[in-house]
Amino acid sequence: MFDKVLLKNAEIPNAHGIGAYEAAGGYRALATVLHEYSPDELIQLVKDSNLRGRGGAGFPTGVKWGFVPKDPALEKYLCCNADESEPGTFKDRVIMEKDPHQMIEGMVIGAYAIGAQKAYIYIRGEYVLSIERTEAALKEAYRKGYLGERILGTDFNLEMFVHCGAGAYICGEETALLESVEGRRAQPKLKPPFPVVEGLYGCPTVINNVETLACLPHIVQRGAEWFRGIGPERSPGPKLYCLSGHVRKPGLYELPMGISLRELVEDHGGGPRSGGRIKAVIPGGVSAPMIPESGLDVAMDFDSLAAIDTMLGSAGVIVLDETACVVRVAKRITEFFNHESCGKCTPCREGLDWAVKILRRLEDGRGKHEDLDQLERLCGSIFGNSFCALGDGAAWALSAALKHFRDEFVRHIEDGRCPFH
Amino acid sequence: MPKLTIDGKEIEVPGGLTVLQACELAGVEIPRFCYHERLSVAGNCRMCLVEMGQAPKPIASCAMPAGDGMVIRTDTPVVKKARQGVMEFLLINHPLDCPICDQGGECDLQDQAMAFGVDHSRYQENKRAVPEKYMGPLIKTIMTRCIHCTRCIRFATEIAGVEEMGALNRGGHVEITTLEKAIDSELSGNLIDVCPVGALTSRPYAFTARSWELRKTNSVDALDAVGSNIRVDARGREVMRVLPRLHEDVNEEWISDKTRYACDGLARQRLDRPYLRKDGRLRPVSWDEAFRAIAARLDGLDGGKIAALAGDLCDAESMLALKDLMAALGSPHLDCRQDGAKIGAKIGGAGPRAGYLFNTTIAGIERADAALLVGTNPRHEATLVNARLRKRFLMGGFRVGLIGAPCDLSYPVDTLGAGPETLSELAAGTGAFAEVLTAAERPMIVLGMAALARPDGAAVLHLARALAEKFGMIGEDWNGFNLLHGAAARVGGLDLGFLPGDGGRDRDGILDGVHGGDIEVVYLLGADEIDMARLGPNAQEGAFVIYQGHHGDAGAHRADVILPGAAYTEKNGTYVNTEGRVQLGRLAVSPPGEARADWTILRALSEVVGQRLPYDDLGALRQRLVAVNPVFAAVDRVEAAPWGEFGEQGKLDGAPFGVAVENYYMTDPISRASETMASCAEVFGSGRAGEATGTDG
Repeated sequence: MFDKVLLKNAEIPNAHGIGAYEAAGGYRALATVLHEYSPDELIQLVKDSNLRGRGGAGFPTGVKWGFVPKDPALEKYLCCNADESEPGTFKDRVIMEKDPHQMIEGMVIGAYAIGAQKAYIYIRGEYVLSIERTEAALKEAYRKGYLGERILGTDFNLEMFVHCGAGAYICGEETALLESVEGRRAQPKLKPPFPVVEGLYGCPTVINNVETLACLPHIVQRGAEWFRGIGPERSPGPKLYCLSGHVRKPGLYELPMGISLRELVEDHGGGPRSGGRIKAVIPGGVSAPMIPESGLDVAMDFDSLAAIDTMLGSAGVIVLDETACVVRVAKRITEFFNHESCGKCTPCREGLDWAVKILRRLEDGRGKHEDLDQLERLCGSIFGNSFCALGDGAAWALSAALKHFRDEFVRHIEDGRCPFH
Repeated sequence: MPKLTIDGKEIEVPGGLTVLQACELAGVEIPRFCYHERLSVAGNCRMCLVEMGQAPKPIASCAMPAGDGMVIRTDTPVVKKARQGVMEFLLINHPLDCPICDQGGECDLQDQAMAFGVDHSRYQENKRAVPEKYMGPLIKTIMTRCIHCTRCIRFATEIAGVEEMGALNRGGHVEITTLEKAIDSELSGNLIDVCPVGALTSRPYAFTARSWELRKTNSVDALDAVGSNIRVDARGREVMRVLPRLHEDVNEEWISDKTRYACDGLARQRLDRPYLRKDGRLRPVSWDEAFRAIAARLDGLDGGKIAALAGDLCDAESMLALKDLMAALGSPHLDCRQDGAKIGAKIGGAGPRAGYLFNTTIAGIERADAALLVGTNPRHEATLVNARLRKRFLMGGFRVGLIGAPCDLSYPVDTLGAGPETLSELAAGTGAFAEVLTAAERPMIVLGMAALARPDGAAVLHLARALAEKFGMIGEDWNGFNLLHGAAARVGGLDLGFLPGDGGRDRDGILDGVHGGDIEVVYLLGADEIDMARLGPNAQEGAFVIYQGHHGDAGAHRADVILPGAAYTEKNGTYVNTEGRVQLGRLAVSPPGEARADWTILRALSEVVGQRLPYDDLGALRQRLVAVNPVFAAVDRVEAAPWGEFGEQGKLDGAPFGVAVENYYMTDPISRASETMASCAEVFGSGRAGEATGTDG
C-alpha cells in the first residue's frame, strides 16, 4: 500500500487551516530551506529529485529554475498556475481546498530558489472555494511570518497575491496567463523570449503547477533519493490521478507515477460501470489522444505515454464504456476547444470552427464519406501550425478518435443517424 | 553576423534579424499577412511558416531570430502544405467578393491566394458574417473580409498612439473592433494601407476607381512642411487618391490624413479662368484682358508702391519668378511669411540657414534624448514629425517638455508653462526640466510658429538660440535647434530670399502701407491666410489686389484681378521641407480650364508689363534658382547648415503662446475646399463624438 504524500492531510478535518498544517509538520521544510540551503543547493536538490512539471508538459522543474538569470538587479517572479481548466482534471482544486498551505509552502521554497520576491497564484475563476481557502491561508501565512518581510528571521522577503481568472481555458497557457495577470487580453505570446528570461512585466518569471509546487516541501524533508525512488527513475514521484467517466469509483487518487493505466482503472477505479466494457480511455485530460481498451497496459508516466502517441498531460483519466458514442465525444471535445480557442492564430481559429461544423453534421447522420478525409486533412493543417498547444491538442485528440474508431464515424454516415442515441 | 543556410544557399546576415528577414536577403520570398516591418511581431497568421533544421514542427519565420548555423527550408512539401492549409483557412470565412471590393487588384490576400493557395475550396459549411464597425468619415469597414492579422490594432496602438482598436470575443467569433467612433488620430488613413485585405478601405474613394485604371505619379505633399513623399493616383484629369511613398528620412511609409484625404478639394472651388473686377463684380475675362488691366494699373506707378506676398503652398520656381518680376518693377516689398513669423534678419535676407531649419532632421529625432517643444503642437502642424517623436519616445529614455498651449501629443509631455516667461526661466537654468536638458547628451528644441508669429517673435527666437547654446544643443555632429514650419513654401521662400529687400516692408509693413496709402498694388501669390480687411474694401479705398492661385478662397474673394494657377498636383515644382530638404513635386494632372503653371503666368505677365523675365523654360528657371542659392541643386540631400547669429535681443511679451493650427483639417485653400476634410472637422470639432448612426454611407 502506497503511503499518501500530497493527500496525506486531505482527510483530516479542517486540514486547510494553518494549525492543522503545522501540526502535521508543515512549514518545517521551509525553515530547513531558509536556514540550511543556498538557492543553488536547493535548485540542485530539485534537479536531483527528477521532479517534472505536473501541469502537463513534464519539463524538469529544477532545470527550468536553473534557466533564471542570476542577475540580482533583476526583479523575478514566481507564478503558480492554478488555472486548472482541462476537462477531466480536478487535482489542483483538491490541494487548494483541502491543503492550501502545502502549495504556499512549496511556493515560498520555489521563490527562494529563483530569488523572487513577488509571487502570484493564478486561480481559475470558477474555483470559488479554492480562492476563498487560498486567500484565507495567505492571511494566516503572513500572520505567522511565513510570508512578508524577513521570513523566519532571515533576509528573505516574499509577497504573494491571488489573481483570479475569468473563465478562459487559454489562461492555463503560461504566456496567456502572464498577459492576463498584466491586465491584457489573454492570448499566448511569442516564445522566445521564454518567460523564464522575459516574463511578467518583462522580468524573469517561473510558472509552476500547483501539484509541482506541493511536491517541494516533501522533497526537502525526505530527500531527492526518496522522491526518485517512487515510480520510474526518469519521471518519478507521487502523482494525483483524476479518474472520471464510466467507472464505479471515480475520484482523485494519489499513487506512484508509472502505475499501469489498467490497474488504475480496474483495481482502484473499480472497473467499468455495472455490466459494461471499456471502449477507450483518455489518459491526460481531453487534449490527450484517447487509447482504445487494448492499449490500457501502459505505464502512467510522461515517457511511456508519449511512446504510444498520447500524453500524461494533467492526468485527467476519462473512461468511456461501450455506451459512449465516440463521434459525440470527439464533437464535444472539439466544440470545447473551438469555444476556448483565443482566436489569435489562423489554424486554430478557422480550423476548429470548420471541424466542429463537420462533426455536428456527422453526429446528426448528415455526414459524407469525404468528410472523414477532410477532417483528417484539417487536423493535419492545424497540428504543428498553430501558435500554441491549444490547436495542437485539439487536432491531436480528434485525429486519435478518427484513427481508432473510424468505423463508428462510418456507421454514422451509412446509417444516417447516431447508432447510440 | 550569423551564417544561415536558406534553401541550400549559405548567407551571412546582420545580427538581430528574423528568419523571415534573412530569407528576404537571400532572395527568397516569404508570404505573410500579420508581419509588418514597422509593427511589433504578432506571429498569428501562420502564413510565413518554414522548416528549420531538425525542429519537429514548422516555425513562424517572422518571429524566429536568425541564428548561426540554422538550416532553413522554404521549398519543401511540408512548407507548401502548411501554406496551402493556412491559405485555405483564411479564405473559408472570407466572402470572396473581390469583384465588388475596393482592395481588388492591390490585395495581399488575392495575390498570395494566387501564389500559394489552391484553386478551389473544400469548404461547404455556412460562412460567418461580422457586423461593420463605425470608424469615422475616412475609413470604410467590411469586417467580414477581415483575416484578424491585427495589423490595424498594432498600428493604432504603437504608431498612432491611440488605444482605440482591439479584439472582441474568442475563437471563430473574434472581431476586430473600435470604440464605435472615429479613430482619434491624424494618422488613421494609414490603417487602410496596413490592412492586407479589403476590411478597411478608404471611405471617400469607395467604388470610384480600380487601381489598374489609375495613372501613378511620384510627388511630394505640399499641405504641410514635412514634405511627405506621395504617389498621386489620377484618372483622366482627376486626382482620385493620394498614397504614401517610402522615404525613410521623411515620412517612412506613412502620411497624415490631410495629405491623403484633402485631394477631393482639388476638384472643388477651382479658379479655372482669369477674372477681372468690373463695377465691383468679378467677371470672367481672357488672359490678355487680365494682363492688360494689370499693366494699365502698373503703368507709371512707382515700384515702391507695389508689394507681393507669397502663400503657403507656393513652389520655389513661382516665388523666384515673382521675386524677379518685383525687382524688375523696382519693388523691395515682398514677404513669404504671411503669418508674420519673425524669422530671418530685419534687413539682408534670411540670415544663417540654421536659424530657420529643423536642423536635427526628422530622422535625427531618433538620436535625441530630450526635447523641448516651444509654442508648437507638432501633431497638428507636422503630423509625421510628431509620429517620429512618438517613435523616439517608444524607444525609451526620452523626456519631452512643452512650453505653450497644452495638447495631447500621443506621448507623455511635461507641461512646463504657457509663454516666454517660462522659456526665460528655463534659459536661466531654473526648473526641473533644466536638469533634464543638462543631463541629456543630445537635447533638442522645437520652436513652432506660434512662438514666432507674434510681435516679440524675434526676441523669442534669440532667447531660444541662447538656450540651445547653453544646454549644449549645438555640437560637432549634433544640432538640436529646430524650427517647425507649417507651410510647404516657407523654407523655399526663405532660401531664395522672398523677403523684404533694401528699404522693403515685411507683411505688417505692407498691410500698414496699404492703410497709409504708401502701397497701392498688392500681388498675392496664393496668399490666403492674411487679414484681407487690411487690404481695404476695394481698389478705390485700398490696394489693387492681384490674386494668383488655384482656389476661390479668401484672396480671390478680395481680388481685383484673378490669375488662375495650378495646385501642387498640377505642376512641376520645387519644395523645401522644414529640414531644408529640396524635393521635386511632379505634375500628375493638368490644371483645370485655362489655369496654368504659376511660373509661366508670371513669365507671360512680365512681357505684358514690359519687364520680360529671362527664362523660357523650367530648366532655365531652375538654373536661376541654383544661381540664387546653391542649396536648390542638392535635391533630397540635407547638409548641416552653418550656425550663426540670428534673432534679436528684445523685450518679451507676457502673453502665452497661441496655437498655430486651430483646425487641423482646414489649414489651406485645398483642405478648406475638401468635403472630406469638412466632415472630419465636423466629427472631430464637436468634441470628437461621431457616434454611429446605423447608416453606412
